[in-house]
Amino acid sequence: MAATADRGFRLAAPVATVLIVGCVLPLAVLFVYSFFRVDFVAIVHDPSFKNYVRVANSPTYRGLIGQAILSGGIVAAVTAVIGYPVAWAIAKRVVFAKSACLTLLLIPLYTGDLVRIFAWRVVLGAEGVVNSFLMWTGLVREPIRALLFSPFATHVVLTYDYLPFMVMGLWLAFESLDDRLLEAARDLGARETAIFLRIVLPLTSPGLVAGALMVFVLVVGDHLTPQLVGGSSGITVISAINDLFGTAFDWPLGSAIASSLLLILGLMVTVAALAVARSTWGRAVLGGE
Amino acid sequence: MTRPCLARRMLWSWVGLVYAFMYLPVAVIALFSFNASKIVAFPLQGFTLDWYVKVLGDGRILGGLGVTFLVAIPTAIAATVLGAMAALALTRSKLKHPIAFAALLFLPFLVPKVILAVAQLIVLSEVGIGRGLTTIVIGQTLIILPFTTLVVASVLVRLDPRLEEAAADLGADGGQIFRRILFPLMKNGLTAAFFVAFVLSSSEYVVTSFVSGRTQPLSILVASDFRFDLSPSLDALAVLMVVANLAIVAVGELVRLAGRR
Repeated sequence: MAATADRGFRLAAPVATVLIVGCVLPLAVLFVYSFFRVDFVAIVHDPSFKNYVRVANSPTYRGLIGQAILSGGIVAAVTAVIGYPVAWAIAKRVVFAKSACLTLLLIPLYTGDLVRIFAWRVVLGAEGVVNSFLMWTGLVREPIRALLFSPFATHVVLTYDYLPFMVMGLWLAFESLDDRLLEAARDLGARETAIFLRIVLPLTSPGLVAGALMVFVLVVGDHLTPQLVGGSSGITVISAINDLFGTAFDWPLGSAIASSLLLILGLMVTVAALAVARSTWGRAVLGGE
Repeated sequence: MTRPCLARRMLWSWVGLVYAFMYLPVAVIALFSFNASKIVAFPLQGFTLDWYVKVLGDGRILGGLGVTFLVAIPTAIAATVLGAMAALALTRSKLKHPIAFAALLFLPFLVPKVILAVAQLIVLSEVGIGRGLTTIVIGQTLIILPFTTLVVASVLVRLDPRLEEAAADLGADGGQIFRRILFPLMKNGLTAAFFVAFVLSSSEYVVTSFVSGRTQPLSILVASDFRFDLSPSLDALAVLMVVANLAIVAVGELVRLAGRR
């Protein structure tokens, strides 16, 4: 046992060092910067809470953070509804070529952010696929301009981008769902809706929460999609941070917004993770493995 | 028996629709890359390969492709080696704080990329490190690490730990067990992780754009073009990138499947 503990440390230590130097340390420095201020073109190391006061008192930044969280929630919910039957079908109804089905779902992920966004602009544009089709069928006379450069477009593309993560999370939960539980319930006379609500849904909830968390975090962190297909609605909290570190040159304020956002995200992730671990079904699933 | 039949048909229609949704944009890009018109819009004007010829003859794009390879190969190697170490630590040994280690591993995935990138930017400017190839490789390795760890771990959890125990009982030391048992069995996972990392590296944009400086890989070069200009030659380039990525992923996946038997 001592040998494996020693080996574990020797394997984990270099990886942990890289992550601490490359990720934790920069985030800590970012946090420290959030207490500084800018004087013309210089950053003054004069700690105060001014930046946080500015963020808290600014309806713009508060609104942008709220909007990011709302978008994350919407897309997480939509991907859950779309992905749930797909994950079930892949886990329980596909007999052969199961991994091919999963890989096929993941392939669009490998095309890269910009290629996908570019493709959606072609699909949703005024002379794009959807509008051309609608005009060809005679359903509309004029192209629907609101399809592209609108919050609608942003949420369609975000759903598209992060659906595979939701399906992966759910698929893992369905794979560990024991079919004999459903058979037993059926033998005891349970209706299909009762089986779903009282067995399938509770037992796949950890996958649902894991998938929703991934989607939520990724949507909150995405600024390219809103910027490139959202039109005038494309300003996000992340693009605001981006601007403060670029043209607007106020690194301390940008750091304060980023730190606030990270704090909120961290709290939400922790609460969700604890909720899964604490609940009876969570314990049953996690402890049962 | 009519109801389960209907339910099944509805399920498969739904799955079909979702897959169609996932491939719609890819298909549209492919369609317009062969369209003989400068305007990316319907109706289609006829078949051409001109856009491919144009892209493949573009010196700027070929230069960017070269940089992409210079970045992607070391990134993929680093992310695979570190991912393998992390996966081995998590699945094949006792850690004092396994949950803390896992949380640390997935931190680069959970933190919004722009925030991570600006944080790295601050450190680079504080320490006075110039941006270039090295900073891109480090930045990308960090955000790709969670993915490679998962790929290698998915192979390791399927391996029977009794193989190693048997080897240890027969007197093999740690190094021998790794070289003669674990490594051959996880080799396919490593290959798959390398390919996944390569593809993710070549298509990464956000972190790269912050830490790249004047060294510009393909993903950065085409970004400025993508923003305002929807030209068919970019369509052709996107198709080539998708096909290349697909080929790399397919090879990785085949290797992994071959190893599972």
